[in-house]
Amino acid sequence: MKFQPDIGTPIPRVDAKEKISGAAAYINDIDMPGMLYAKTLRSKMAHGKIIKRHYPTLPEGYAIIDYRHIPGTNIVKAIYEDWQIFPVDEVRYIGEPILLVVGENKDVIIDILEAIEITYEEMEPQFEWIDSVIHYHYEKKHGSRPFADANRIIEHTYETGYQEQAYIEPQGMIGYLDQDKMTLIGSIQCPYYVKNAVLMALGWENERVRVIQAHVGGAFGGKEEYPSLIACQLAMAVIQVNKPVKLIFEREEDIIASTKRHPAQIAMKAAIDSEGHIMALKVHVGIDAGAVIGLSGVVLSRAMIAATGAYTIENLDVTGDVYRTHSVPTGAFRGFGAPQMMFAIEMFMEHIARNLGKEPLAYRMAYVAKQYDLTATSGTFRDPILMQKMIEEAMKRSRYEEKALQYQNLHRYQGIGMSFFLHGCGFTGSGEATTIKAKVRLRREASGVVHILIAAVDMGQGVRTAMRKLVAHMLEVPIDQVIYDLPDTDCVPDSGPTVASRTMMIVGGLVARAAQRLGMEPQIAVEIEETYHQPSEIQWDEARMQGDAYPAYSWGVNVVEVAVDPVTGEVSVVGAWSVYDVGKAIDTLMVRGQADGGLAQGIAYGYLEVMRHHQGKIQQRNLTDYIIPTAADMPPMETYLFDNPYAYGPYGAKGVGELTLVGGAPAIAKAIEMAIKRQITKIPVTPEMIMELMTHGED
Amino acid sequence: MVEARIPHSLQEALILMSQATYTIVNGATDLLVQKRSWSGTIPKFSQPPLYIRGLKELDYICERSGMLEIGATTSLETILHHPKTPKILQHIILTMASPAIRHQATLSGNIQNASPAGDSLVGLYLLDASIVLHNRHHERVISIQDFIVDVRKTMREADELITKVVLPIDKFSQCAYTKVGPRKTDAIAKVAFGGLIDIENDRIRDIRIAFGAVYKTVLRSRKIEESLMGKDRSAVPEMKHVLLEGYASLIQPIDDQRSNRWYRKTTALNLLEAFLDSISR
Repeated sequence: MKFQPDIGTPIPRVDAKEKISGAAAYINDIDMPGMLYAKTLRSKMAHGKIIKRHYPTLPEGYAIIDYRHIPGTNIVKAIYEDWQIFPVDEVRYIGEPILLVVGENKDVIIDILEAIEITYEEMEPQFEWIDSVIHYHYEKKHGSRPFADANRIIEHTYETGYQEQAYIEPQGMIGYLDQDKMTLIGSIQCPYYVKNAVLMALGWENERVRVIQAHVGGAFGGKEEYPSLIACQLAMAVIQVNKPVKLIFEREEDIIASTKRHPAQIAMKAAIDSEGHIMALKVHVGIDAGAVIGLSGVVLSRAMIAATGAYTIENLDVTGDVYRTHSVPTGAFRGFGAPQMMFAIEMFMEHIARNLGKEPLAYRMAYVAKQYDLTATSGTFRDPILMQKMIEEAMKRSRYEEKALQYQNLHRYQGIGMSFFLHGCGFTGSGEATTIKAKVRLRREASGVVHILIAAVDMGQGVRTAMRKLVAHMLEVPIDQVIYDLPDTDCVPDSGPTVASRTMMIVGGLVARAAQRLGMEPQIAVEIEETYHQPSEIQWDEARMQGDAYPAYSWGVNVVEVAVDPVTGEVSVVGAWSVYDVGKAIDTLMVRGQADGGLAQGIAYGYLEVMRHHQGKIQQRNLTDYIIPTAADMPPMETYLFDNPYAYGPYGAKGVGELTLVGGAPAIAKAIEMAIKRQITKIPVTPEMIMELMTHGED
Repeated sequence: MVEARIPHSLQEALILMSQATYTIVNGATDLLVQKRSWSGTIPKFSQPPLYIRGLKELDYICERSGMLEIGATTSLETILHHPKTPKILQHIILTMASPAIRHQATLSGNIQNASPAGDSLVGLYLLDASIVLHNRHHERVISIQDFIVDVRKTMREADELITKVVLPIDKFSQCAYTKVGPRKTDAIAKVAFGGLIDIENDRIRDIRIAFGAVYKTVLRSRKIEESLMGKDRSAVPEMKHVLLEGYASLIQPIDDQRSNRWYRKTTALNLLEAFLDSISR
């Protein structure tokens, strides 16, 4: 065997040159002969009945596309199917797309849009969280029964706000007919989601829809289900005008109309015995779906399953509701319900300890999950859990104890906070086995060149580099002998969506198995296929939410240090340390890249990124008002990786992408609590909130 | 259809402006954002734009007769690095936008924009800057305080161009500036505070206090400042309460998508208090 460096040894990104040089074609870089443009007319009303539509007489070559042009079903295929492609007679949120205007000249399109008159009858909008569309419940062991014997009950409610994905490249797609095949090129995360949605909207047979990924300038979940809506609308337009049509969102349009992170309200209640131990937790998770439920039920279940975070609690009663309101639909976003829950449980554990007069860190440490403990849903943590060692490492690197002692006792407006967390890798429950059924292929040509045929999308996380590296390493061939083109549904099988921290662990796992078989294959030109099978020990009861919700978990510790300006309430992040167990890093530098970006996004979710709606209208509509961190807002971040190989991951790899986001908010919130000596139950912790707490708040 | 013009000299610009009403486009870092439109379409100007950023004869910063003169097309970055630029203005420029924007943006653009949150304006009010305007036939000089009359409203006539800004050379012993923005850089101020003080033998010879983003224009009260002139620095603590109340009655911030009234007012007064405390110390 040739000498090979460890798989984790960093290599240059395979697409670095084309992206840095500007050669990589993003969707707006692509133009086609005869291509037309489309622009969307959107509802200005949160809830209203469409009484009348007045369309102007259109110049030659221009078209208006609305619900009447949908040949198939007027629904965007998603999990809960309530997303209309175009509304018929009722609008349900501000920004809801009513129609497209399509044509050659953008100025003419704007003139047409301005001449269109929609007459509404205003209806009462609902912004309160009362219309529960999905309700879930599960229990662990004795559920809430121990509350009857509790010595003391402690309860707090935690609130989290919207978060905007803020990908650099807004939503966009081009549609055209290739012979009689509907072809869509887009900035997307999930080529097959788009394909299946368009098939249902058109009512066409499988072979007549093709979806191709363009280079994607960031997604963060925002291009998981949302592009399916655009694709369906665009497909209608393409059929009408029989020419290529390009639809690209402007930034404000994107912010107003596309999905964001679900705001949540999480009520936590603990039954405490006479010794101060937690006997049971009762948790209620409420999330705001906005006007469309879509995949909110899955977001809710991920949040609920994470109810005890990185801790083991013996008895649980967990309920949750998805509420429908007349505000912008919320949807997939890196973490998918976990960031909300991780904030709530991490703050609650801290608050229980304080309420009991106990030292919070020691109190929390006693509950940290260990191998073979039962998970919240009574599954089993089968693999080793390294949290004790990881916490020690994080504390040593950040000098946590020394700083915490100092900051707790002095009133110097400095603080340090530490969060413990985990993230379930892959789809929740039995989704991988029952819904996704991932399929991958490797094809070796006679020349020895190997093609990786999967639908995974590189949206900046580096999956094209990682997969090529994986296969090259396994076959012991140079990386340029391994090809991984941008996915095209006509060429690659459905390996599932690029979501849920599943790509390396699940898809990569299948690719590795296929590579192993390919390596043993005597014939040169050959194609190998692998299909996902749930490990037999993983059992999940969907209806009762019982069993192993995930095949594996990644774990993490974040430490964040802050200084608060007592004059202005402004927070400076002065230090950040992370320790992660992602099984095995396929490329340590890429994992660090994910770690830096994820932590920045997670910390910012906790203190910086404010988004609210007023009567259904988003108030922060551009990147001047919606504040994401710059390099100047982030300190140097130190990241340490612990190897803990997972049997079914390639080289032991587990999920990375979401893990690095979910612990940021509680870590910074705890640090701010220490700095201002006030209790925090709500994020983002803005200077406005800090000033309010310092002026009127309780210790 | 409006026709954009790019004059090659100040003279040409002024002649054009005497013939028609133009929207003056200087660094365009704010104006083009305000006029943004569907990408690939031309921004819509109701009046033809006149692009002056290329006018070399207005691109200078120099000392003349004991004053600092800054031409209208001089970039913020150039001003930042000039040795005679008042310290307070240096502090302010460092908090403005991003380095890339600072190479393109100009001081006169920030003035003509007349935003209540215009960063440089706090410094210009404190320094009693003069604005020099030209039209085809004459020149006039007007103080910044008189020039900016309301939110995005100035005394500039349609045929006039800001040609330079004139500042006194720094004589202050102490300066303070805080911009409270939502993040460390590339941000619009929620509140800004600036203070200048000239102390000799513990006696306050001159003191100036200004607030940004808490009123329709930069807020500066000469009446309150005068009550401090000539006082011993040790007298400040006992006056503090009255001073804070004085400004509290003038500060009128708004609630918006960036912050709220209560926070803006509380923070503005906190910054003032910290400044006053630093005087007596």
